[in-house]
Amino acid sequence: MFRWDQVWYYLFQDPHLYFLQAAWLTLWISVAAQSIGVVLGLFLALMRMSRFAFLRGPAGVYLWFFRGSPLLVQVLLLWAGLPKVSDILLPAWACILVSFSLNEGAYMSEIIRAAIGSVDAGQTEAAQALGMRYSLAMRRIVLPQAMRVVIPPLGNEFNNMMKTTSIASVIGLMELTGRAQELGAQAFTTFELLIVATVYYLILTTIWEFVQRWIENKFNPDKMNVEVATEKGTMARMLGFGRPYMGK
Amino acid sequence: MTTDVGASTHIDHDFEMVRTEKLVKSFGTNTVLNGVDFTVKKGQAVVVIGPSGSGKTTLLRCLNHLEKIDSGRIYINGQLVGYRERNGKLVEETEVNIARMRAQIGFVFQRFNLFAHMTALQNIIEAPIHVLGVPHEQAVAQARELLAKVGLADKENAFPHRLSGGQQQRVAIARALAMSPDLMLFDEATSALDPELVGEVLKVMRDLAEEGMTMVAVTHEMGFARDVADHVVFMDKAQIVEQGSSEQIFEYAENPRTREFLNRFLQ
Repeated sequence: MFRWDQVWYYLFQDPHLYFLQAAWLTLWISVAAQSIGVVLGLFLALMRMSRFAFLRGPAGVYLWFFRGSPLLVQVLLLWAGLPKVSDILLPAWACILVSFSLNEGAYMSEIIRAAIGSVDAGQTEAAQALGMRYSLAMRRIVLPQAMRVVIPPLGNEFNNMMKTTSIASVIGLMELTGRAQELGAQAFTTFELLIVATVYYLILTTIWEFVQRWIENKFNPDKMNVEVATEKGTMARMLGFGRPYMGK
Repeated sequence: MTTDVGASTHIDHDFEMVRTEKLVKSFGTNTVLNGVDFTVKKGQAVVVIGPSGSGKTTLLRCLNHLEKIDSGRIYINGQLVGYRERNGKLVEETEVNIARMRAQIGFVFQRFNLFAHMTALQNIIEAPIHVLGVPHEQAVAQARELLAKVGLADKENAFPHRLSGGQQQRVAIARALAMSPDLMLFDEATSALDPELVGEVLKVMRDLAEEGMTMVAVTHEMGFARDVADHVVFMDKAQIVEQGSSEQIFEYAENPRTREFLNRFLQ
């Protein structure tokens, strides 16, 4: 018998807020892993585009490994393998955060590399002709334009990330899926509680969809606020929002 | 081949701003510059003409080291460009020194290449602030002057994609001028423009030449070459075929290839 009362209870009446807490765990791990992944991906992308083989090589091997093996295996390697070869025993959340970040870095680096490649070569030439060095041209001219291209696939990645955190349940982390299985196993209501978890996943991804649309709008050059664009700081120029440049 | 450049008109100082010696450059098996000797004196407006594929643009791009050269020498302001000499061999300069050298040379591209994520004003103040270290307010004030000079004072907040080609190119010229360059290079600056927009860009270039800016312009605008150039260089098949004052080239060209080329344009 399907117990709707259980669904109702965990959605609206649970005094322990089990699922809300689990959703919070899912959210912060996703945000943290995605953020680290973006930074990591940026460095990996720059390494892969470097003219130095000693930078290109390691980045290539990194990508080969993290894109070539399952995320679940990478999680288990950290969880079960690391304690065997060292004295390090990471807590479950750290295991998940580290493996998700490393894995995401590999995928983000390909996205960022493609985005950098999509910026017209004339932009770099113009920057160089004005006396900018490669690093300055990259930071001031190429990357801000590449960011616009990165946003849509980045949105996809983050959406994916929030759902993929369900893998964390395998090593006992009480995020949404783990919580549903644990509570469900006690009262034989796993199916009901997976419905609750699904509702929470949908809430998270739906909110993200709106946020993503808002960000993409901010990046649309046709709608860019000219006032803001004239006098704004680095973050504001790159993201379309943030602290304006106040001058001295 | 004429290598004498003393024929230029109102220039009284003989300081050589640009000098190339036996410049050779090839892309794979295709030699695009085959022993080019080329000189520009301070204050001169030199126009390089010639058929497509004759090496004009490559010559210009070599001058600020956007292209590497295979052999020969380029001197700007008496300094070797892009390389340093070690035991008679050319070794490429460090990135910092190349950047420093480029900061003194304005380059205007055929396709404008304005920074797409910046307004006209931001485009202009970017390099003065971040390359030269000019204070923000001072850079903005200078940029506004330059925008007024190219006739775009009301467009400072416009993003490039909202400007016409001619307006974009004028902002690009202002951007290059903001670095207070010793030398301006124009690479077919009007070739990507609709015909009715060519004039506004040529006017800005003409004003610059009249102010005494040292410049090299690669162009297909023969009217401009004839009226503005102190010195005209005709290139064909990777070499300088003939050069002289605009009168010499346009009225009394000696080389049959020059005459044939000009006839096609000036009918």
